[in-house]
Amino acid sequence: MKDKAPTVFVVDDDDAVRTSIRLLLRSVGLPVETFSSAQEFLDNVDGDRLGCLVLDIRMPNMSGLELQQRLNELHHIIPIVFITGHGDIPMAVEAMQHGAVDFIQKPFRDQDLIDRINQGLEKDRINRDDLKQRDGIRERIGDLTPREREVLDLVAQGKANKVIAGDLNVSQRTVEIHRARVMEKMGASSLAHLVRMVIEANRA
Amino acid sequence: MAGAAIELQALLDATVDAIIIIDQYGIIERFNKAAERLFGYPEHDIVGKNVSSLMGDEHRGHHDGYLRNYLTTGTANIIGTGREIEALRRDGSTFPAALSVGEIPNTQNPRFVGVIHDISIRRATMAAVRQERDRAQLYLDATEVLLVAIDADGLILLVNRKGCQVLGYAEAELIGRDWFEQFIPTQDRAAARAQLRTTANKTTASYSERLVLTRRGDTRLIAWRTTVVRSNQNHALSFLSSGEDITEQRLTETQLRARESQLRAAQRIAHLGNYEYHCAIDTAHWSDEMFHILGRDFSEGPASYDLFCLNYLHSDDRETYTQQWRSLLSGRESGDFEFRIVRPNGDIRYVHLLAQTARHPENGSLVITGTLHDITERSLAASNAQQMQEKLAHVGRLSTMGEMATGLAHELNQPLTAIATYAQAALRLTAQADTEEDVKEALKQITAQSLRAGEVIRHLRSFVKTHIAKTEPTDLNKLVQDLRVLADADARANSVRLVALLENHLPLVEADTVQIQQVLLNLIRNAIDATGPGMEGAREITIATRTIDDTVEVAVIDHGSGIPAEIAENIFSPFFTTKAQGTGLGLAISNSIIRAHQGALGFRQTPGGGTTFYLTLPTLSGDDHER
Repeated sequence: MKDKAPTVFVVDDDDAVRTSIRLLLRSVGLPVETFSSAQEFLDNVDGDRLGCLVLDIRMPNMSGLELQQRLNELHHIIPIVFITGHGDIPMAVEAMQHGAVDFIQKPFRDQDLIDRINQGLEKDRINRDDLKQRDGIRERIGDLTPREREVLDLVAQGKANKVIAGDLNVSQRTVEIHRARVMEKMGASSLAHLVRMVIEANRA
Repeated sequence: MAGAAIELQALLDATVDAIIIIDQYGIIERFNKAAERLFGYPEHDIVGKNVSSLMGDEHRGHHDGYLRNYLTTGTANIIGTGREIEALRRDGSTFPAALSVGEIPNTQNPRFVGVIHDISIRRATMAAVRQERDRAQLYLDATEVLLVAIDADGLILLVNRKGCQVLGYAEAELIGRDWFEQFIPTQDRAAARAQLRTTANKTTASYSERLVLTRRGDTRLIAWRTTVVRSNQNHALSFLSSGEDITEQRLTETQLRARESQLRAAQRIAHLGNYEYHCAIDTAHWSDEMFHILGRDFSEGPASYDLFCLNYLHSDDRETYTQQWRSLLSGRESGDFEFRIVRPNGDIRYVHLLAQTARHPENGSLVITGTLHDITERSLAASNAQQMQEKLAHVGRLSTMGEMATGLAHELNQPLTAIATYAQAALRLTAQADTEEDVKEALKQITAQSLRAGEVIRHLRSFVKTHIAKTEPTDLNKLVQDLRVLADADARANSVRLVALLENHLPLVEADTVQIQQVLLNLIRNAIDATGPGMEGAREITIATRTIDDTVEVAVIDHGSGIPAEIAENIFSPFFTTKAQGTGLGLAISNSIIRAHQGALGFRQTPGGGTTFYLTLPTLSGDDHER
């Protein structure tokens, strides 16, 4: 599976939009797989496959944001390009905070979408290469202060900022600052990415 | 014969009264010519006989007694005074006579002279007079008219039985009393006296109506005719009045008038006139209010049929009216229809006519009776209310559209995105080899997506445009399907799935499509909000139709947070809202729309959590359907 060419996964509930994107990406020679709902993608996702996810932010039942959250929880680090409508900026901002590569408003210039997809594919490649460099990861972990190290361990255990603040007997705001520094020093693009680094570093 | 004797004989012969001379024993000595004629005896036959033979049985016995009594006591019962006797003729017949007796003085042999005058004619005359008087009295008494005569000072001279009865006194108590003081109420007295003085100078009878006081203490209204009785010198001696007790009659008249005026007032207030139309002679009777409603002058009288149709009927309603009226003429028993009339001043009024046919009791011709009701105000109010409701519904739709704007923008963005993407893909493909099929497909899709966008806009426009409510037989399943273009947009934009569960062969209902869609869209909006991000439960809304007895129900079922009991009772109140951006009009307007459709709007809990809002509309019966 790993040796498969990087693929663009498109999730959009609107047949016309989904099919038109598939045609566009095929026209530039990108391998495409399409899904009509978030659930369908979840049911078929393989965390080891290289690629990039093009995700509609508004969908019935499970929205794009919800899918992003689920993927984070599952520690999938696939880069996501969100497609949004007008007026969806607050949601797009939230998506970016949770590690999305970028977002693009409908309707869009074809080149803009292709550029973002390429950025996503590149990012996926870097992330996956980086995860293979365990020494580099361990080195960066070694650069963390003791308190930052504590925060990293607790974050990697899936604990929320509030809980971590309680455990360390500091304010929630302090935890947020430490956490941002950890993300920066580690070069993590998302929480999932960070968690994957910790897992890789702890591998024998 | 001595001179005196000759003179006596001449006197006796000349006199027209019978003169008889008798001796002290009653024996007739002389019998004059008049006596011979009166009694039928020649003198020589009667002389020497007793005078009693000239008297009827009744007086015969008494006569000798009178004579004896006079001779012995000197007391004359008769002399100088005369008396009436029954005289006996020779032929046995009798006649009334006046007898006066004188004595011829002679101490030895007193003699008597009797003068007898036939009074039968006088008697008959008097009897006739008496009879006439009795009859007059009978008339006076028998009549139901009061008769009162008063003298110039107002004292009562005569009053008849009816007068006594009405006044409550015996005749004797009334004669001589002051009429005015006793029987005319104080406040009328001066006027009554003045009128009497006027009457005194008139030659004809005068008429007056006056209250009189009775012994019982009540008053009676009497209509009097008074004539004056004058002396030879033309002085007014007395006044004779005949009166009729019109108390009851006047009371009845007053009550009748009061009732008529009440009826007039009631008709005026209700704007309701009534009529009676005699078809055979094209003649109508109208109540006053008929004239008011039509703006016709009373003096013109009711209008004939042709005149009514030509001058008063609104030209647009003429055909309907004449058709209805003709059906009454050709046998239909009753009519009930509304139309417009135009008054002479140009005002247009809405009227409601009821008609009932009957046969004339005498000649059997057709008579149409009924009422005409001016319902202009009511009609205008109803049409105003409808216009207000339409405006409100329109505001409601605009408001709903406002709330759905995000969803609609999204819904338009989808085909635009697809169009743009297909077009750009096609452009790229044309630069490459063997892509003809893909390009064709892209162009086909561009067309389809353009139409899709157009469809959204079409639904949007038809939904928000101003709209005159118009109901028609409607299939609610089809209405729900048409609605989905808009509803799905809203649902998708909020990440909610919309499911339709439609019962097959749903009966038709009478409905205004746009307004019912508005209600459903509003319910779906609320359901979407109840299912919004952060809400618990399945993100799915079901629209279900089904038949319940003779109604059709459309239910919008959500699995959201439900409605807290404390707000449930206010949920249909205007301006009640729990949404930050809500107007609080959605459900209130929906409720008024459904009520205007004779339907019901309500809600219940969804089993397993959430709320189900439903509307029910009555199904069309078979007859209605055919119509």
